Amino acid sequence: MSPSELISRGEYFSQWRGGGGQVCAVFPAQYPRELLWAHGVLPMEVWDPPLAPARAQGHLQPYICSVVRQGLELFLAGGLDDVGAILFPHTCDSLQNLASLVEDYLDPPAPSLFFYNPKAPFAAAAKGFYVAQLQTLERELTRVFGPQPPEGMARALEWSRRLSELYAQAYSRRAAGELGVGAAEFYRVLRGGEYMHPRDYIPLLEGWLASAPANGGGQGQGIILSGVLPSPPDLLETLDELGFRVVHDDLISMSRRLLYPPPGEGDPYEALAESFLSMPPCSTRGSSLSERLEWLKGLARAGGAQGVVFSVVKFCEPELFDLPELRRGLKEAGLPSLVLEVDVNQEVGGQAATRLEAFGEMLS
Amino acid sequence: MSLSAKARLQFMKDLGLPAMLRLAKATKGKRAPRAANPDFGPPLKCAARLKEIMTRHYYLSRFAPGARPVAWVTSGAPVELLRALDFYTIYPENHGALCGAQKMGPELCAAAEEQGYSSDLCSYARVDLGHFFSGKTPAGQLPKPDLLFCSNNICQTVVYWYKVLAHRLGIPLVLFDTPFNYGEITEANIAYMKEQILEMIPVLEKTAGKAFDMQRFMRLAELSKSTSQLWGQCLETMRARPAPMTIFDAFVHLAPVVSLRGLPVARDYYEILLAELTERVGQGIGAITNEKKRLMWDNIAVWYKVRDFAELFAARGMNFVAATYTNAWAETIQHLDMSRPWESLAKTYSLVILNNNLKHRLGLMEKMVREYSVDGLVVHSARSCKPYSLGQYDLKSLLSRRLGIPAVVIEADITDYRFFSEEQALTRLEAFFEALEAA
Ligand code: SF4
Ligand code: SF4
Repeated sequence: MSPSELISRGEYFSQWRGGGGQVCAVFPAQYPRELLWAHGVLPMEVWDPPLAPARAQGHLQPYICSVVRQGLELFLAGGLDDVGAILFPHTCDSLQNLASLVEDYLDPPAPSLFFYNPKAPFAAAAKGFYVAQLQTLERELTRVFGPQPPEGMARALEWSRRLSELYAQAYSRRAAGELGVGAAEFYRVLRGGEYMHPRDYIPLLEGWLASAPANGGGQGQGIILSGVLPSPPDLLETLDELGFRVVHDDLISMSRRLLYPPPGEGDPYEALAESFLSMPPCSTRGSSLSERLEWLKGLARAGGAQGVVFSVVKFCEPELFDLPELRRGLKEAGLPSLVLEVDVNQEVGGQAATRLEAFGEMLS
Repeated sequence: MSLSAKARLQFMKDLGLPAMLRLAKATKGKRAPRAANPDFGPPLKCAARLKEIMTRHYYLSRFAPGARPVAWVTSGAPVELLRALDFYTIYPENHGALCGAQKMGPELCAAAEEQGYSSDLCSYARVDLGHFFSGKTPAGQLPKPDLLFCSNNICQTVVYWYKVLAHRLGIPLVLFDTPFNYGEITEANIAYMKEQILEMIPVLEKTAGKAFDMQRFMRLAELSKSTSQLWGQCLETMRARPAPMTIFDAFVHLAPVVSLRGLPVARDYYEILLAELTERVGQGIGAITNEKKRLMWDNIAVWYKVRDFAELFAARGMNFVAATYTNAWAETIQHLDMSRPWESLAKTYSLVILNNNLKHRLGLMEKMVREYSVDGLVVHSARSCKPYSLGQYDLKSLLSRRLGIPAVVIEADITDYRFFSEEQALTRLEAFFEALEAA
């Protein structure tokens, strides 16, 4: 498959709905996709809808991040009017309150569903609690979308396992320099998973991995891209233009949830809980700084990265709190870093390009 | 714990502290008294006692290391567990408020920013980290903690902040994870919190070097409950017309229920405060001399502006008689029940305002408007505090519309006055005053 064949979120949504499929809009970040798939429901993730901020301004203070702002803008613009439910995983204070704002004050057109992700350091009780959360969500999904079809969960787990393999393959090939695509293409394809059903997405990903050249990506300095999500798009284009090799990422929307250990056999809820608890470290789940630091150093070692670019969404507390200690630890390990503060709907522009260029020169 | 450190702490308690307080009193006696402001009624007599209690708490804390296990604790954590193990507790948020009131916010925040912490982060956290890096504090010196005790029932921010401290200090971080109540509290949530409490006790015991005594815990939990109940009763005296204190007084008198909850000194203090407030109500003594309008405050105080705001509103015969913030330490205590200690502790701490949905907040504020005969609402949009602030614009409009009372939002911060535009706030307040006077 060539990335040009990848259809857009809007088109895919229309096709899915046109075929009578059910959709659940999902706000960031981690949630048990398998449960939605098991019900035959398409999770449509809302990360950075490209809308001009207008209506949301009247509801949010200027110090709220652009992920929340854009998500609310989409909701207020009627972009979620045709979904069967809206799922709000518990990720951070801002998304927590956004969920309550929508549910309690803004009269949503579809039922709101909530999912509390336990926070680290995880107590032993976290696993049982996660299972109880899954059971509650299952009941809610049944209420809204009807019961799971027979074999629904078994199929969903199979998709999940296959996707886990494919994501791992994409990341390891890239880290080894055996995936000759730039950052823009890599993330464009991987972000397909945010809105495509695995039935369509798995073959697409398989085709892409089979046809992608083994070399020919950026030849310049190897970096790790850390932060919330690979956005705005011109950031990725700039990285490609400057010849950076993104050998790995540590993004909330990407490797921190895509490189999950595949759910094992046995009780599906237990398997999903174990998978969640063993995901890569993430600020939004409360992972310790030493765990995050070791993880980052490991990624850099494995891919031969020379530095780290932190692309932090402005006002994102979970990321901003971790930043100084991570940078200090990376520096001690001989890994310089650069911080770019971004708004997901605003181009990073020339100034960021200049800073990236200087960073690249410093690394060489 | 070392014997010599224990002896030193005892010595300072018995001799050093009284001497220090005498000296402070003597010095104060030499200062010219502040001229009385005719807009205010007589000041609360027990303010002096409050000052003594808090001075004592911070002063003795510096002698605690080695004598008692020291914990830094978030304001919504179930401190009763620590009290039963004799921890000396420091509340960085209370310290942040103190720094804010002393107008040290920007200086300490800048010290954190120099180390790479963004100026967009909560300023209680920046003040605390700034103190951590620079050692500066109006409290003289804070003891280094042996353990960090954190509950995310007020925000996730405290988890991120305490993680930094745990990493820098290499000490245990104990988290009490309280799932947010999007609707009614669930049995699964209570079970999760109960299990966490049972799991954390051995960790706390290890740092404290002693076994957890259930009987003692239950006694202290009862003490904590009566303290919060007394605080609630103090606030309820403000239903009277004229109200015997202002919410600006309450912001200050809140310190013991936040920082010393579960200790006899806090309960005793609120008995004195309640007696004084009741007496004032009986005698018709108001906090302000000419109470014409009664207001409600939403969110944490603007600590560097408490006095200025008190004067600004009092000059117009406006008194703040209720606040969601001060109410938070009384609102859920009725759930604490020693016949079901763990479940009830979980409920008490899980149902606090910031761990509860915005529908709950709206309902609570409507109730308070009625019970306290509130004529207008001032909403502080606190840049530091996303869980308190996100949703306020709609909250304000809904309340104002439903109850037909004027409301205003002022954009400010809790301690960092670099993010406060006095001019903009005054412009908004002038329009609010006009609407209120016309109502
Ligand atoms: S960018 Fe950060 S603050 Fe914003 S929604 Fe995501 S995790 Fe929350
Ligand atoms: S001010 Fe708000 S964000 Fe900061 S510690 Fe308090 S509750 Fe948390």
